[in-house]
Amino acid sequence: MTQAEQILKKADRLRRELPRNFRDEMVQSLYDEAERIARRAVQEREGRSYDLDQKIDRIVTSPIFGLPIMLLLLALVIWITVIGANYPSEWLANGLFWFENQAATLFERWGAPWWLTGFLWHGVYRGLAWVVSVMLPPMAIFFPLFTFLEDLGYLPRVAFNMDWLFKKAGAHGKQSLTMAMGFGCNAAGVVATRIIDSPRERLIAILTNNFVPCNGRFPTLIMLGTIFVAANFPPALTSFVAAGSVVAIVMIGVFFTLLISWLLSRTVLKGEASAFTLELPPYRRPNLGRILYTSLIDRTIFVLWRAITTAAPAGAVIWLLANISVGGVSLAQHIAGFLDPLGWLIGLDGVILLAYIIAIPANEIVVPTMLMVYLGTGMMIDLPWDQLGVILVEQHGWTLLTAINLMLFALLHNPCATTILTIYKETGSKKWATFSVVITLGTAFLVTFLTASLARAFGWV
Amino acid sequence: MTSWLFFFLLLALLAAPRVGLYALWQARRAERAREQVEDALKYLLDHEQAGLHVTTAALAGALRLSPARAARLADRMAAQGLLEFRGPALHLTPDGERWAMDVLRAHRLWERYLADEARMPLEKIHREAHRREHTLTAEQLDALDAALGYPQFDPHGDPIPRPGRPPAERGQPATSWPPDTAGRIIHLEDEPPLAYQQILAAGLQLGQIVRVLERTPERLVLSDGQNEYRLAPAVAANIFLAPAHDARPLPAGVQPLHLLPHGQPAEIVAIDERIQGFTRRRFLDLGLTPGTRIVPALENFFREPRAYRVRGTLIALRNDQAAHILVRPLNAEEASDE
Repeated sequence: MTQAEQILKKADRLRRELPRNFRDEMVQSLYDEAERIARRAVQEREGRSYDLDQKIDRIVTSPIFGLPIMLLLLALVIWITVIGANYPSEWLANGLFWFENQAATLFERWGAPWWLTGFLWHGVYRGLAWVVSVMLPPMAIFFPLFTFLEDLGYLPRVAFNMDWLFKKAGAHGKQSLTMAMGFGCNAAGVVATRIIDSPRERLIAILTNNFVPCNGRFPTLIMLGTIFVAANFPPALTSFVAAGSVVAIVMIGVFFTLLISWLLSRTVLKGEASAFTLELPPYRRPNLGRILYTSLIDRTIFVLWRAITTAAPAGAVIWLLANISVGGVSLAQHIAGFLDPLGWLIGLDGVILLAYIIAIPANEIVVPTMLMVYLGTGMMIDLPWDQLGVILVEQHGWTLLTAINLMLFALLHNPCATTILTIYKETGSKKWATFSVVITLGTAFLVTFLTASLARAFGWV
Repeated sequence: MTSWLFFFLLLALLAAPRVGLYALWQARRAERAREQVEDALKYLLDHEQAGLHVTTAALAGALRLSPARAARLADRMAAQGLLEFRGPALHLTPDGERWAMDVLRAHRLWERYLADEARMPLEKIHREAHRREHTLTAEQLDALDAALGYPQFDPHGDPIPRPGRPPAERGQPATSWPPDTAGRIIHLEDEPPLAYQQILAAGLQLGQIVRVLERTPERLVLSDGQNEYRLAPAVAANIFLAPAHDARPLPAGVQPLHLLPHGQPAEIVAIDERIQGFTRRRFLDLGLTPGTRIVPALENFFREPRAYRVRGTLIALRNDQAAHILVRPLNAEEASDE
């Protein structure tokens, strides 16, 4: 018997002689020692900030004001993001597309073949430019605001307020924070689940984060809510109805988050390890430098870079599908025709499905891709909203059902490639990454199929 | 052309290696066979330890097989050298016994895991552990054992067998325990389930220190100093006790933390013995050790979780967790100390 074996054997024998809860005693003695040192080394000042902390806590977690304050702050952050991102997005788009035209003209002057110019500038570059101009401004506004609340110490109080609801769904209160982060970007939301230290609840938060619509999907939802849902109401109410429909979609997303969390915790994840702890740290003065650093470098640039690496190939594929023709019809049209029956089944059409398939890398380019196929242009395009509504309804048979189902589909469908990749990296498992796609896509098809069938059965469409 | 495409897709779905339907069916069949053999081994081990003989007919009844299938299973196991026939009775060979011990070990380790790490209710863990006990390789089993910190008992107090280690004591049933002697509950038999559920419903738990107050043919009364537990003798026979030398009675006025009124300072007395593993480690990490002062400091709209001030920090606990922390409320004089 080697020495190591002897030692192991002895340890095994000794372990059985230990009292039942010797770990308790070890921890107790550690704490006693730490307390003794702290008493000797730390002088406690009659703390005023401690009282202030308590006062703030009583307000923000109070049974009466706690939830309203929280909802108000969330609405405020989203409102600032949506409004504030409008103009910078437009400027960025103008600038980036101006550059595209200049470059393409230059290529033509040099006598480059049309397909090279198209592929490089109207394909790869255009995809990139689109994603950057739609994605960057909202993220650059949302993340600093969110990080500000985080740095302040307010966010754990939100988890504290909401935990009861998440407990009912078998999840962790901190999931409310990762969901809020998901409004900025689902990939960032998935990364943020690291704050949940219990393995089962963390997996739940990762797999359901996509049910919160991110910045990339918000513009689509707002567009649909404005030109289709609100158009059915008197003009005085339009902006109100548009906002209401987007809020309703978000609420549906929250409902599905809780529902799927509940199902997961009772089926697939039943045996995963679980524990609940939540510390409410003291409030502190936000550090502006740190806020800007974490929100812009750690979050915005990180997410943007991942999006760019997936958007460039997507731009290339989109351009190729629109410009390679078989029998006088582009590949995109062929595929859209093939997908049409499936699209009809869920109240959409083949073009929309195709746009979702090739725009997996980034949700921002779904609508431009859709328009490209509808209008038969060779590249992704955008239109003013008033023209958009007319074209979709009169030439492509869109109804209220199409718009509502598209909103639902945009909310529930599979995560974008960046998020899937992030889920794979965070869980270290292809199984969970695949599973996240299966449950979201399954939910999306099921829900839209049900609404379409119901609407048709009642003869509303 | 489309119909050919569908034909090939269908073919792939059926015949693909590893993920095709046929391959899945084959794998499932192999699993079923292993489950059957292992269940039979466990059944034999259980009865041999109790000094009972098992016939093929009894095996058929226990595994819910037809007599012919049970006979085939026994023949197959005999051919594998796991059991031998002695007249009508079946006996485990040393190989069979070793394998059976491994299955038992897997079952009890899984119960430990499900109770401690997955926080599954005690009455549900037996079924889930039964489902999982057949899925591990020997290496995975060792890894699970190590990850759990080599526990000695499962959550019902049954010893976890390990290769080359004598089985630990099992205690004495409460029905034959001497009256007025303190005993620690070291085992709660989980079969039959009905009796086990009654024991849990009465509020008795592993590690509790009790005395037998009264014993008649109709009932048995146990007391832990605060509550009395009345049980039918048939149920009480499933409670096993061992001498409690280090028994410390809980001081008067102790209550679970979640019932402590808002703002009432208290001192932590103990953490419930039932709470082991992950959850207990978390409690300890947060500094919730006996002797620590704690005050319920925040309540929200839903009244759950509640936040407690302890060691200068605020920690939120759900009520089902706080219920496992026993505290003694401090009176005004004690509270103003420090």
